[in-house]
Amino acid sequence: MSELSENVADSGPITRNGIAIDDTFAEAFGMSASGVVVTADSPKWARQAAITMSGFGTSVIGCGAECGIDHEVAPEATPDGRPGVRVLVFGFAPELVAEQLKNRVGQCVLTSPGSACFNGLDSARRISLSAGPRFFGDGWQTARKLGESRYWRVPVMDGEFVIEDKAGVSTDAVGGGNILVIGRDRVGVLETCELAVAAIANVPNVITPFPGGIVRSGSKVGSKYGAPASTNDAFCPTLRGAVNSNLSADDKCVLEIVIDGLTAEAVGNAMRAGIKAVLDVGPQRNVTRMSAGNYGGNLGQHHYHLKDYLP
Amino acid sequence: MSALKLKLRSAPPVRLDLSRLVPGRLAGLSSAEIEKLVVSGGPQGLTVGDCFEVSGAPGEDLIFEGGSDRFDYVGAEHAGGKIIVEGDVGAYAGRRMKAGHLEINGDAGVCLASNLRGGIVSVGGSAGEHIGLPRPGEKDGMAGGAVIVHGDTGDYPGERMRRGTLIVKGRLGKLAGARMMGGTIWAEQGLSAGAGIQMRRGTLIGPRIDEPLATFVDCGTHDLLILKIMAVHWRNTLGDVAPPAFSPPRRLMGDMASLGKGEILLTEG
Repeated sequence: MSELSENVADSGPITRNGIAIDDTFAEAFGMSASGVVVTADSPKWARQAAITMSGFGTSVIGCGAECGIDHEVAPEATPDGRPGVRVLVFGFAPELVAEQLKNRVGQCVLTSPGSACFNGLDSARRISLSAGPRFFGDGWQTARKLGESRYWRVPVMDGEFVIEDKAGVSTDAVGGGNILVIGRDRVGVLETCELAVAAIANVPNVITPFPGGIVRSGSKVGSKYGAPASTNDAFCPTLRGAVNSNLSADDKCVLEIVIDGLTAEAVGNAMRAGIKAVLDVGPQRNVTRMSAGNYGGNLGQHHYHLKDYLP
Repeated sequence: MSALKLKLRSAPPVRLDLSRLVPGRLAGLSSAEIEKLVVSGGPQGLTVGDCFEVSGAPGEDLIFEGGSDRFDYVGAEHAGGKIIVEGDVGAYAGRRMKAGHLEINGDAGVCLASNLRGGIVSVGGSAGEHIGLPRPGEKDGMAGGAVIVHGDTGDYPGERMRRGTLIVKGRLGKLAGARMMGGTIWAEQGLSAGAGIQMRRGTLIGPRIDEPLATFVDCGTHDLLILKIMAVHWRNTLGDVAPPAFSPPRRLMGDMASLGKGEILLTEG
């Protein structure tokens, strides 16, 4: 949700490595989240299933959930000893996350050759993971309880699809941490954001749900057409002279990195890693400034002040 | 780690009900109080002190120094810690046990692990008939946990089993998994005649079967992912006694005279 922004700044910028850092904050929201581990015969097919189930999962407003790959899981750490990928799914409430899991696992993981799907989040609160997919078995599905986990075996055309019965869900998740990267060169800003997303990928328990982790269509709240959001004209370089712009004459491009995490601390760690990466690699790529998206501080429970996350 | 030791004075003259002698029920009792616990009915009314020399203090571990096939209900309702029996036990050892470990370094009598709920029961010798059998009025046989028998078993092992694992290193008795509803029976030496009769769900695994029932249907040889998951789980929970890895098994489904969702997996094809 954080691409909706009004961008209230506190005071003047701080400068590091020649990059100005606005004295402002990213405004993030409490969310619910679950995690699953998708395995397959090879890392390639585990990743394929994970990417597919994460598709159309950029913004909870339009997609119903924000989804992404947290990290790859080594065979030694998966229940079936095969390579896996952990996917995190964020939504407004546990029951909405459950509905998204049902559809995404049913359409994207069950269908992927050789796949299996397991709980990927230890939590006292649990939601159904197999509801939906297991009934594809048309009565031939069987369950096997091992320890505290129950696994369903669903006959499919390449053998059996195995899915764990329940997945953990957390209501302590945070969605909408963000960084705005501003520069004089569109390609340079994009390369900088790519490297920042790669740095964030090393932080556990977070995802960057937008395409490649990067948003180019930051938005403001409201629209003259009644839509809930519309383009963030204050950060559109081609409108600089026509609106109350937040950009300088040299600014040609603004890209945003949105971060969702299982905890507020995880989002903070990702903000720190992303900001450091931008400061390290941005100066050579014509990045001139960093900012963050917020709503004035009145909507989101979590405020990430950029100055608190500088290296 | 403290341990309470009960040294058998002499072979018991009558059957003993040792269900009260589990760590959870002995916690907080003094040696004198433990010695006064009654362990047999009838006119003799034998106490712990009559049958055992008591030493040590109640804690997580309980050790019987010496055993007898008249030791009934050893480890019944056991809910944590470890019970070791240096000898044989009688009927219903580990009945309705919930957690912890029961190690029997001898033979076990009938109805071992009746209606077991959890934990691990390990028998160094052989076990009698009806492993896991529920008592009258109970719905399920074994309903969780794991039983490892290093020797042979009597007939009807795993009768009406719903969950859990039974591993038999020696010869498995006839009619294994009768009326089974879930769980796994693994017979390292092979399955005997009548295995899986009237089973609804569940899995029987062995290298071969003596006389397969006509009501099981051949579904071919398959590499089943659930076996990898089970292998990982068993390795983590059972350690060295976990069954060895094997090649993709031949799958027989049945009992088609019942629900027909059970399976016999034959690892030698």
